[in-house]
Amino acid sequence: MNKGIRNIVPAGHIYVRDNILEKGSLTGVDESKAAWAKDLNLAERAEYTFFAGCGYQHMKYIEGMMNALKSAEKMGMGMGRVMGIGKVFSKVGIDIASIAAKVTASKEDPYTNVLRKAVSVLRKLGVDVGYLGEKEPCCGSPLYYDGFEDDYAGHVRKNYEIFKSSGVKKIIGLVPACTSALKNVYPKYIEGYNVQVQHFFEVVARRLEETGIRPAVKEKIKITYHEPCQLSRYLELVSEVREVLQRIEGLEVVEPDAEQCGMWSTCCGGGGLEASHPELAERIGLRRAEELLETGASVFISSCPACEMQLAKATRKLQRNIRVMDLVEVLDQALP
Amino acid sequence: MNDAGLKEVEKEILENIQICLKCRMCVDMCPTYEGWFAQSSAGRLMAVNLHIKYGLGSEEELGNLLFSCTTCRRCQSRCRMLSTDCSPADTIIKARQYLVKRAESREGKRS
Repeated sequence: MNKGIRNIVPAGHIYVRDNILEKGSLTGVDESKAAWAKDLNLAERAEYTFFAGCGYQHMKYIEGMMNALKSAEKMGMGMGRVMGIGKVFSKVGIDIASIAAKVTASKEDPYTNVLRKAVSVLRKLGVDVGYLGEKEPCCGSPLYYDGFEDDYAGHVRKNYEIFKSSGVKKIIGLVPACTSALKNVYPKYIEGYNVQVQHFFEVVARRLEETGIRPAVKEKIKITYHEPCQLSRYLELVSEVREVLQRIEGLEVVEPDAEQCGMWSTCCGGGGLEASHPELAERIGLRRAEELLETGASVFISSCPACEMQLAKATRKLQRNIRVMDLVEVLDQALP
Repeated sequence: MNDAGLKEVEKEILENIQICLKCRMCVDMCPTYEGWFAQSSAGRLMAVNLHIKYGLGSEEELGNLLFSCTTCRRCQSRCRMLSTDCSPADTIIKARQYLVKRAESREGKRS
């Protein structure tokens, strides 16, 4: 990495890039990719391939890293705002980041469970899914958004070879950023890309329509839905998600201002921003949480790991007793 | 990346910015906007334009500005609906890629 690039790209993003290219995951923590699916008996080949992505699997480590960074700052280690996670740790020479991430990872991990529940929802709706397990690559989309286009093009072609050799024809993605990259960005870099990519909620909305199942939650709850950017404006799946929400009986959906939901939902400040501008990301998260609090809902529902982390952090900081859940969890509870 | 390729990316970015009407409809859509024009998508585009055309601002400053964008595309939806559809968010991502490529072609991939 030359000095020019080090001046331009924030250290946090370079850290993520090195992790993806060298270790094949977002945080570089070596965790078995098949661990979450251990006892689910997912076949490798099936009609649809489930793409789990790094997001849900590594969010607990990212959360841990951010906490470690914060407490280091409080101890007066003088870590500047611009100084990203990567620079700090690579200066020491050993890969402290992944050790710190493993130690500080939150004990109750609400994120990885979402993947298991997603598979359970698909099975309840009669969709046959497989999973590549250890072979599943990182989609590499941070490379694209952080400017490393050449690295991204190479990474993407390697991934496509993996898909081809494993006979992947149809993918169901869950993490919005991965799915939007697989669907919209991959074809730009690969000639003859013929993998059909769908987001989880496209499939769920269609299957609910076909089967006529009416999911119902036991206790009536008042919720508001936070739309992830990648889902509403990149994948343009606003109406599908609303359909799913409206089908669940017992959910009272309250929406914020029309300019703050659906197509126009405000950003939570997650994504890559917390790796380079953590303070700005926190302020954006607080602003979004306040918008959602105005609706008077007691549960915030979203469907992106980064959004959930940001909202959970913001509500904790505002000292409001709000539960942040994933729509997949609600759906799994509600389906018979 | 060779110079011809770099020029092509540059042209693409400048063409997109040219379409921008500077109507500032997108400004208060931007989640990072806290009062300064440069904290919004239109401001970022303007900074990219001035940097590429006249060499104003250092690469560090421009990088910091571009990487403070969350790429949430709210500006882009607003631009498509009410203005000239110059795809500000995609242009910001392109500009990041351009800066990295320029540094690579100047200093070599690894050094």
